[in-house]
Amino acid sequence: MTSQTAKIELDKQTEVRLGGSLWRQAFRHFIRNRSAIAGMILIGFVVFMAGAAPLIAPYDPNLSMIGLPGHEGRLAGQAPCIHALGCPPEMAQHLMGLDLNGRDMFSRVVFGSRVSLVVGFASVFLSIIVGSLLGLVSGYSSFWTDNVIMRSMDVLLAFPSLILAIAIVTVLGPGLQNALIAIAIVNIPVYARLARAQVLSLREMDYVLAAQSLGDGNNRILFMHIMPNALTPLIVQGTLGIAGAVLEAAALSFIGLGAQPPTPEWGAILSEGRNYIFTSPHLVFFPGIAIMITVLGFNLVGDGLRDSLDPRLNKT
Amino acid sequence: MKRVLRLFALTMIVVLALGLMAPAFAQDAIEPLTPNMTVTDGLVAYAADSCDYGGVIQSITATAANQVVFQLCEPDGAFPQKVAFSSLGIQPYEHLQATGGGGEALFRNPVGTGPYALSAWNLGSDVVLTRNDAYWGELANEPTAIFRWTSESAARLNELMAGTVDVIDNVGAGDFETVSANPALQLLPRPALNVFYVGMNNTIAPFDNLNVRQAIAHAIDKNRLVEQFYPPASTTANQFMPPDIFGWTEGFEDTPYDPEAARQLLADSGLELPLEVTINYRDVVRGYLPQPGVVAQDIQAQLADVGINVTIEVMESAAFLDAASAGQLGLFMLGWGADYPDATNFLDAHFGQGANDSFGTKYPEIIDLLNQGSTTSDPQTRLDVYAQVNALIRDNAIMIPVAHGGSALAYKAGITGAHASPLSNESLAVMADPDDDNIILMQNGEPGGIYCADETDGEALRVCEQIMDTLLAYEVGGTAVVPSLAESFSSSEDGLTWTFDLRDATFHDGSAFDANDVVMAYAVQWDAANPLHVGRSGAFDYWTILFKAFLNTPAS
Repeated sequence: MTSQTAKIELDKQTEVRLGGSLWRQAFRHFIRNRSAIAGMILIGFVVFMAGAAPLIAPYDPNLSMIGLPGHEGRLAGQAPCIHALGCPPEMAQHLMGLDLNGRDMFSRVVFGSRVSLVVGFASVFLSIIVGSLLGLVSGYSSFWTDNVIMRSMDVLLAFPSLILAIAIVTVLGPGLQNALIAIAIVNIPVYARLARAQVLSLREMDYVLAAQSLGDGNNRILFMHIMPNALTPLIVQGTLGIAGAVLEAAALSFIGLGAQPPTPEWGAILSEGRNYIFTSPHLVFFPGIAIMITVLGFNLVGDGLRDSLDPRLNKT
Repeated sequence: MKRVLRLFALTMIVVLALGLMAPAFAQDAIEPLTPNMTVTDGLVAYAADSCDYGGVIQSITATAANQVVFQLCEPDGAFPQKVAFSSLGIQPYEHLQATGGGGEALFRNPVGTGPYALSAWNLGSDVVLTRNDAYWGELANEPTAIFRWTSESAARLNELMAGTVDVIDNVGAGDFETVSANPALQLLPRPALNVFYVGMNNTIAPFDNLNVRQAIAHAIDKNRLVEQFYPPASTTANQFMPPDIFGWTEGFEDTPYDPEAARQLLADSGLELPLEVTINYRDVVRGYLPQPGVVAQDIQAQLADVGINVTIEVMESAAFLDAASAGQLGLFMLGWGADYPDATNFLDAHFGQGANDSFGTKYPEIIDLLNQGSTTSDPQTRLDVYAQVNALIRDNAIMIPVAHGGSALAYKAGITGAHASPLSNESLAVMADPDDDNIILMQNGEPGGIYCADETDGEALRVCEQIMDTLLAYEVGGTAVVPSLAESFSSSEDGLTWTFDLRDATFHDGSAFDANDVVMAYAVQWDAANPLHVGRSGAFDYWTILFKAFLNTPAS
C-alpha cells in the first residue's frame, strides 16, 4: 500500500466516522446538545398539545360554565379545582381554574397553543419566503436594485419591531390574520439581510463561477446553486424567529390588536386577567407559563441548530 | 394765597369728578359681543329674542354686582340641581375673553374660585393643584392636591398598597375583598347612581327592525351579568334610571329574559339568520361597567345562543364616544353616571329634545312626555310621566338597561375626610393625609381638558370641581344642593324666575368675582353665535343636556 492509498483510506474512514455529510454531522452534534434536546421536548410538548387539543381539552374553550351542573355561585376567575388535591367532588374539576367569563382555563390554554404555533410558523414562513427572495435578488442584482431593496429594508429596521407591527395592524385592522401579516412584514428585513449576505459570499464561489462559465442563466444560478447553499442560516434564524413571532403575537393580542374575543390566544388570555393578579393569579400564571415554555423551546432549538450548523462552532 | 386755594379746590373737583366717572369708564370696558347681549350701567344681560329657539333659558341678567336673575321659558323643577353641576363652573369673563373662549390657554389653564388652583398640568403624568388661601369657604386641609391616572385597576391598587398614592378610584371588581382585608386600607363603596346599557341605533340595519331590538332585549340575561361580573352593591337595571334617582318607576315590568321569545322574534323579523352584527365599546373602566371586555364577551355568547353572531370591536375612548353620539354605531355598550339627582339627567339627556343621535331617530311622544315631566313641579305627575316614558323605552327597545354598577374608592387607612360621592365628585379639600402635605388621587384617566363647559368625562369633571365653583353645589359626599358662589337663591311662584344672590369671592388670578362673570360664563355656552363659544371640541354637550338647546344655533 502506497502512502497515497493509505491517505485515501484514512480519509474514507474519517468520513464514515463523521457521518459523511454536513447535515448528518450537524444532526449528530444537535442530538448531543442537551439544551437543544430540552428545547425539542418543549416544542414537541406544545406541538402535541396543539395537535391533540380536542382530545386533551375537557371543554369547548369558548363554553361558559355559568349555569352548568357542578358550577355554583360566582364563577368569574374561580381558582383551580383539582379533586386529587382536595377540591370537593360535587364541584366540577378545572385544572387551571376558570377565566373571568367562567370558561375552563385549561381548555383555553390548550387551544391557545394552536393559535400561537400557527402565527409563529406562518409568519416566519412568510417572512423567510419574501425576505429570502428580496435578499437573493438584492445580493445578485445591480447596484441600484440592491440599493433600493436594502435601503427599504433599512427603513423597516429603523422602527422598533413591535411599534411597526402595531402601526401595520392599526392600518389593516385588528385581528389574528392581520397580526400575522404584520409580524411577517416586520421580520422580512432580518431574512433579507441574511440572504443577501449569503449571496454576496456564495456568488464568488468556484461552483458559481463554473455554472456561469457553462452558460447557466442568472435565475438558474440564483435558485439552483446559490439559494440551496444559503438556506442554513435562514433556517437557524427562522427557528429563533418563531420564538420572537410567538411573543409578538402575544403582545399584539395583549393590547387588543391580535386575536379577537373569544379566540383563545395566550396574549389575549393574559391581558384579560391582568387586573386580577392579586385575587386570581392563575389567570395570568398559566398563559404566561405557556408563552414562556414555547419561546424557551424555540430559542433552545434555534441555538442548538446554530451551533450544529455553524462549522466554526461544531468542532467537537 | 386765594389763587392757590382756588387752584387746589379746582383740582379737587376735577379729581372727584374723575373718581365718580371711573365706574362709567369701567362699564365701557365691557362691550356687547352679540345682539343678544346688552350692557347697562356696567351690568350685563343676555336674552333670547323669544323662547321659540327651543331652549329652557330666556334671559340671564346681572341685576346688581352681586345678583343674577335667570328668566326661564318654562318651569324647571331641577333648576337648582342643574346650576350646581360642574359644567357650569364660573371663570372670570376677562379670562374667557383673553383666551378667545377656547384653546389650550383656556382648557389647560382654568381660573376659578375653588379651594384649589391649578399649579401644573404635566401632560401624561399628573395634575398638581395648590391650595387657594383666599378661598371664600373653609380652606383645603392639604396645601397640595395631585391627580394621577392609570387605566389598569391592578396598577392603581398596586400604587395604593405601595403608598405612592393616597386614594384610588374604581377599585377593580375582583379587588374589593383584597382592599377590605387589608388593615392599611379603607374601602368606601359608592352608591350605584349609574346605568350600564346596551344601545341600539334604530337607523342602522338590522337594528332598524323592532323585532331584532326586542329579541336582543329578551336574549340578554341581566341577572347573570350582574351576579357574575359586577362587584357587591350592584343591581340589575329594570329601567334606565337607578332607584335612588327621583323619577324611578316603582314596580316597573322590564322585558324578561326569554331566549325562546328572542329566537321567535328573530324568526319573525324576516331577516336571514344568523344575524351578523358588531358590538362596539371602549375598554375603559367605569362604575357602571367595571369589566367591559368580560361583559362584552358574555353578551357575545348570550346573543350567539339565540342566533346572533357578534363581532366585538374595541374602540379608543374618545373616538367611541364621538361615534356613538353621532349615531354611527349600530350596537354598543355605554353607560351614564348621575350628574345631578333627577330624572331629567338620565331621561332627558338620552331621549329628550337635546339628546344626541346615539339611538337614531328620536321618538316625539317621548320628547313630549319628557317636556311635560321637566316643566311640572308636582312630584306625582312627574312620576306618572316617567313611568310612561319608561314603558315607551321598553316597548320600542330603544336600548337595554342592564345594570347599576356599584363601585368603590380605596383610601389609605390614615386619610381623614375620606368619602365616596354618589356623583363621583369627591372633594379633595376635605381630605387630609397625616403622613405628608399632599393628597394624591389616582383615577382612571387623564382629563381631556379642564374647561368643563366643554367636557363630558368624569375624569375631567372631578378635576374641575376642585378648581371652579358653581352657583350652587352638591354637599360633600351627597346629592343635596347647598350654596356655593350664590349665598342664597329664590324662585318665583310660577318657577320661571330664579334669583341668585352672590357672595364676595376672588378668582385665582386675583380678580373679583361678580354677577357679570356668571352671566358670561353661562352665555358663552348658551349662545352658539357668541365669539367665545369655542371650548375644546366646541360640542358643549352638557348645555343641551341641561337646557335643551343653544341660542342662535346655525341652521346647518
